[in-house]
Amino acid sequence: MTTRPRQPSVSVSVHSAPGPHRRIFLSVVLLAIAIVVSQAALANTPTIRLFPTTVVEDLKQTGNVARDMETGLQEVIGRLDQQQALYVESKCDGAESDTGCERLARQIGATYLDMLTIMEERLPDMEHTVNNTRQSLEKSLRNELGKKMTPWTLQETLIGGNANNAATQASPTLRGRSGMRLSERFKQYYQLVATSGAKGDQSLAVLASDIYLDMEETTLLIQRTRQEIARATLMEQLNQSFGIITPEMIEVVGGVKSILFGDAEGQALVAGPPPGSIEEAYRSPLEQ
Amino acid sequence: MKTTTVRSAFVKAKLDYKPVLIVATLFATLALSSCASTTPTCASPQAKDLGRAITMVQASLMEGCHAHLDRYYDDLLSIAEGDPKPENKREFSQFLVWSSDNGLLSNRQAQDYYNRYFNIKFMSLKGDYNNCSHTCPNKQKVLFDMERELSDKERGLLRVSLDNNGYYRADRLYQEVELVLEATCTACAAGR
Repeated sequence: MTTRPRQPSVSVSVHSAPGPHRRIFLSVVLLAIAIVVSQAALANTPTIRLFPTTVVEDLKQTGNVARDMETGLQEVIGRLDQQQALYVESKCDGAESDTGCERLARQIGATYLDMLTIMEERLPDMEHTVNNTRQSLEKSLRNELGKKMTPWTLQETLIGGNANNAATQASPTLRGRSGMRLSERFKQYYQLVATSGAKGDQSLAVLASDIYLDMEETTLLIQRTRQEIARATLMEQLNQSFGIITPEMIEVVGGVKSILFGDAEGQALVAGPPPGSIEEAYRSPLEQ
Repeated sequence: MKTTTVRSAFVKAKLDYKPVLIVATLFATLALSSCASTTPTCASPQAKDLGRAITMVQASLMEGCHAHLDRYYDDLLSIAEGDPKPENKREFSQFLVWSSDNGLLSNRQAQDYYNRYFNIKFMSLKGDYNNCSHTCPNKQKVLFDMERELSDKERGLLRVSLDNNGYYRADRLYQEVELVLEATCTACAAGR
């Protein structure tokens, strides 16, 4: 029986390699292992599909429709502002029986009717695209976050891989009045969604929820606005015979301006949290 | 002659029993009194230093006060609030690991005690069923439990460990969960 001798040449060739070369070789091997491991980890991480192409397109379309409506209304609202300023400057308040004031009031009423007509024409398109976006998001949210996740996995998705790195990226804007044009808001949504590839799932879940709830509210508001437009048009047609500016008119115009063109007062300045310790956080073996 | 002998034996025996009875009574009293003196008082730790307070609590727990662990944990948190620092997290973790190793807490209980106060994640969100079927029908309760847990995190992260970033992240996570659950549950309800 013969024993196979060891082959010293192999160990010699590795051990006798020069220091820097060996270090480079080891670094390359370690790097390759790290890449393979991280790729495998990524492959195991469940990805959520909250923004299919249809949602992205719907958002873009809604933004375009909103922009068209704003463009149409901008000119009318500008005219209304001028007429109202003239009415106030002419001291028509309390002098409604004056012929000149009566004529001014009728002009304002006619412009107000124009505004309502434009809204009436554009709102169905708006309603349609908003509904499409809402329905697509609804399906994604129900399936991806509602049925495929437990509360714990949802929490882990929101935290992402940086639970201990608290002072991280800026989070997507949460709900509330954004104080910007409707079309700008949709444009921003579109840009956030279109560039979402670089973001983690945690941002997407919040973003999708934010947009979905916004769409829900917008749908309801559009429905109510359409009903109100029919009533307001009838009222104004009646008022035209008397040449009266009602407080409701002024209020509606103010509301439309605030919704469409933003409201600077609506922006709240929120102070950030005080800076915390930058030290490496302690990780307990009990931590989950 | 015979009767005399028996009576004397009886008398003698009666005389012999007396000291035995006295000794037995004394011994029983002594035994009972010694039992009463070893009953643990389970008093709260009086030390201001967290490390010393933990040692005192550990001694009490080993003497049979394990039923008071909840109160002791609260006492320790109060003591740590008096001297807040990031290392307190480690002290609490080690104490809970010790409690688990000594069979005073299950591993799961130890995790709950620790994470409820010192982790960003919410233990209130533990659950094995999907959100549509389980979380949404109980959404208000889940959010209420989270809110209570957030106040415990404020105590553990902010007031005990000075981990401001951790607490603010937990606070933001609470808001995010609230928003995402509102949207998800609306979507779930619409699909029925």
